[in-house]
Amino acid sequence: MTTIANAWMTTLERADAPNVAAGKPADDVLRLFHEHGGAIYRFCRSTLRSESDAEDVVQDTFLKLLQHLESRGDRSNLRSWLFTVAANGCRDRGRWRSRWLPWRAEDDRRVAAPAQDQDDIRSARRALRALAPRDRVLLSLRASGLSYREIATATGIRENSVGRLLARAVDRWKKARKS
Amino acid sequence: MSCLTDVEIQTIVDNEASEASRQHAAACRSCQQRIDERQRQMRAIADAVNISGDIPAALDVRLRQSLASAPGSAAPAVRGATVLRPRPVRAALGPHGARWVYAASIAAAVAVIVFAVLPRLGAPTRLSASQVLERSLQTLSTATGVEYLEYELTIDGAADGPFRIEHLIDRANPQHYRVASYGVDGLLRTAISQDPVARRRTQAIHVDGRTYVVHVSDIREPVLSLPQMAQALLESVIAMMQATADPTLTMQEGPAGREYVVETPRVATANAAVTLDLSHARAVIGADDFRIHAFEASGALLRQPFAVSVRLIRQEIVDSTSANFAIEAAPGDIVLDGRPESGPLEEVLTAIVRGATQGAH
Repeated sequence: MTTIANAWMTTLERADAPNVAAGKPADDVLRLFHEHGGAIYRFCRSTLRSESDAEDVVQDTFLKLLQHLESRGDRSNLRSWLFTVAANGCRDRGRWRSRWLPWRAEDDRRVAAPAQDQDDIRSARRALRALAPRDRVLLSLRASGLSYREIATATGIRENSVGRLLARAVDRWKKARKS
Repeated sequence: MSCLTDVEIQTIVDNEASEASRQHAAACRSCQQRIDERQRQMRAIADAVNISGDIPAALDVRLRQSLASAPGSAAPAVRGATVLRPRPVRAALGPHGARWVYAASIAAAVAVIVFAVLPRLGAPTRLSASQVLERSLQTLSTATGVEYLEYELTIDGAADGPFRIEHLIDRANPQHYRVASYGVDGLLRTAISQDPVARRRTQAIHVDGRTYVVHVSDIREPVLSLPQMAQALLESVIAMMQATADPTLTMQEGPAGREYVVETPRVATANAAVTLDLSHARAVIGADDFRIHAFEASGALLRQPFAVSVRLIRQEIVDSTSANFAIEAAPGDIVLDGRPESGPLEEVLTAIVRGATQGAH
């Protein structure tokens, strides 16, 4: 049976397998940044809804990767490790972010969506933004190609619950899209 | 086996299903349709997530600089903290690695300038939500002359709505104004005009099929202009929209051309403990002139929930010599002379009660 999961998984699986051979940590970080940085950034951007916050979390994530590699940490599944650290970073950032932010025009990097964006993508994004943070994280991790086991590791929920929570998140996304 | 649950459908789409579920799906047309539908939804979500784009070049530069300057050492393993090791990474990279990182940083920085900074300088059309709102605020506050404004107002819970509102305000003297509201039948509901030079205020109110017009002369001092209050409220709400963390900004083609749509995400309830709080706001702003074409907001004002929406019908600067601020009584209207009171509401109520009392006698 064909599922879209295969298509999502391909890029990252190929990049991550076989697991990273031990090289110089900083070189490995840069290489992993080129391989996974885009997916991590998109995940953070989708979760945090802010470019600048996403950039900060991505940078922190790869600096922590440097520490992890230099301290001879486990290299068996660095993709999952990266998403876990990024998800934690997003969650931490979400905690301290207040609803109202001091505003300075020069710091505001939120820009208008390109006019050529298709309406359906726009409505899908809007619905995604309207979801609760946990639903957004789960869907973003799934869309980033993580397996249920990896999602469970990254979010701290039981692997057996991932499918159920994802199904509910999709239902809520559907409702948000219709409203 | 009965048809699959939504969770089982989800696990099939995610390639995490049990063999039993797969076998059922392969043989069940109904479940296969549900799988197809769920696949489309997941694809749309993936598109929404992945449209966020590639890593900004600036982030690449930042990371390389951080790596180059990160202290490091052969210290024990770091346990979940963000503390970096004291040994410089530059040393670990070696001279060739350091030069390579430096050269890559320069190249990336040049790329940022060429692809990100220069296009922005030449293309000021990329605006943030806050910039759009800021320009809209400037448009509100810098209007001059006598301004005529006509819009449709819908207030949640108000009977007879929506209303058509006409504003006429002398921007040089905001205490000089006329505001009138009309119901869907086109008939006047309420009106107030004020002339601070002539020290005169006139109000009209439509009750039970009859319009009462109350003239008050020698007003003590002009009360705060109603259009000014409405504008102040609008400015407050827009300022709050600017300050909100996650406004979305999109563009649309409206009847008057391209428009910005700025919207704050909905939150469950507004904080009723504060003077003004928003649970949702949406502004449609002209891309050419940054005038507000439509606006809606809900939340709490003075600890009461509110939800209003406004749609601009007409906005223009009129000839000050021909602008008519007066409220004229029509045949059949009851015209009363009121006395100056502490506020317009007291004036009109007192005048009507007095008139009714005199009529009873």
